[in-house]
Amino acid sequence: MDEPIVFTGVSKRFGALTVLDDVSLSFQRGQTTAVIGPSGTGKSVLLKHIVGLLHPDSGTVSVLGVDMARAKDKDVYAVRKRLGMLFQDGALFDSLSVGENIAFPLQRHRADLSTKRQRERVDQVLELVELPGLYDRPTSALSGGQRKRVGLARAIVNEPEIVLFDEPNSGLDPMTSDAIDHLIHDMKAKLGITFVVISHDIVGTINVADRIAMLYQGKLIANGTTAEVVRSEHPVLRRFLGRNLVLPEPGDDGLPRLPSI
Amino acid sequence: MIRWLGGFAWFVVDWARACAMRRPPPGRVMEEAFRIGVMSLPVLLTISIFVGTNLALQGYNAFVPLGGQRLVGMFVALAGVRELAPIIAAAMVAAKAGTEMASQIAVMKTREQVDALEVMAVNPLWWLVTPRLYGIVLVMPALTVISIFTMVAASYVAATVQLGLNGAVFLEFARNATSGFDLVAGVVKGFVFGIVICFVSTYCGFASTKGPEGVGQATNSAVVISSVACVSINYIVSQVLYG
Repeated sequence: MDEPIVFTGVSKRFGALTVLDDVSLSFQRGQTTAVIGPSGTGKSVLLKHIVGLLHPDSGTVSVLGVDMARAKDKDVYAVRKRLGMLFQDGALFDSLSVGENIAFPLQRHRADLSTKRQRERVDQVLELVELPGLYDRPTSALSGGQRKRVGLARAIVNEPEIVLFDEPNSGLDPMTSDAIDHLIHDMKAKLGITFVVISHDIVGTINVADRIAMLYQGKLIANGTTAEVVRSEHPVLRRFLGRNLVLPEPGDDGLPRLPSI
Repeated sequence: MIRWLGGFAWFVVDWARACAMRRPPPGRVMEEAFRIGVMSLPVLLTISIFVGTNLALQGYNAFVPLGGQRLVGMFVALAGVRELAPIIAAAMVAAKAGTEMASQIAVMKTREQVDALEVMAVNPLWWLVTPRLYGIVLVMPALTVISIFTMVAASYVAATVQLGLNGAVFLEFARNATSGFDLVAGVVKGFVFGIVICFVSTYCGFASTKGPEGVGQATNSAVVISSVACVSINYIVSQVLYG
């Protein structure tokens, strides 16, 4: 299955407001797809359809071969075990420490791992997000950037096939924002999993995405490789991206080369 | 009102469908029971003491002019043991533990932590409601019995020390007016009120709108609706048990 997430003719309305209007879109396995668009165009709604928190009024959303709106609860939960998601503010549990937050999915779903192995796995992902040694720190003592990193560590700890990012750069200063972009970029190279990034941060998006889809007033107005979308002459897209945007040259690995920080 | 009741009914049905036959999250029931018990006990003891003293005082004022000071013990036993102690226990648990349940869940909803549970394939009803329900059902009967004994003891002290009534007569009339069945009835009421407080409070948390205003409304609704529901249900339970 080369397209683990497929939207087919998806429409979603809240009262009189149409948030998604006949959206058909697929996400490629092993690639990072960014969904961009101005605020209020349905990006987060699209993400919530992928995890089954919202259901379409019409159309279907298939994730790892399961129709998320019509499947039984146990099938939806089975799909969710294969997903990870980074929420805007991390959505960390206040009553748990950093390590306990990250270990949460393992404790729930990986009974095959001993407590020692779970601890090792948590330490491993803490290294990966560049926060080694923070296992016992309370989440209240974390900065905004650290919360995102811990949220990211929790999203990948159970080795998911798909990781979803809801505005990974929102509320962060430019340097921390760059650091998060690097982290996403490096992880994709290391882990080779499918990433879906919801963002309106153009620079960050171009740095991390293989493909870009743009939503505007609930409709999909662009969908292609980063290079194709950045060079598109669609007027709304041009206005959103800005005319002077320069696409970074690809590195040896074929991924866009990020500016150093 | 009808909309709220409909949503509440679906919430309970959803919980029953997904969680009733499932073991609660390991370790969390005792944690919740301890927290609910410890949190509610000081305020429950304080209120029970002063309700008990006032029962004795009002009973004395009502019966002594009629020459019926012996009836004070009976009055305290009937009003306190059968009705007031269970209601006071329910109101205090709703005020302390119920508001905490509603506000915690409302804050978790605002901070997307409830969505995070769903996305991590953990049913939020199972994780957030089940341990609180089992915890409150474990401690509410005990809190009711504690309230009963505290209330009677405080009445006894007020009646004998402050009002100068004969202690042996007070106790004899109190004992004659009540039986072991009243304690069982108190336990039954505590059990029922615990279920009501937990479902109402957690539903108020889940049904809250996001943001500080939503958290405030959820907390407020939890204590008001729980208290009104417990007082109303108390009438029905008393009718069934004593009617």
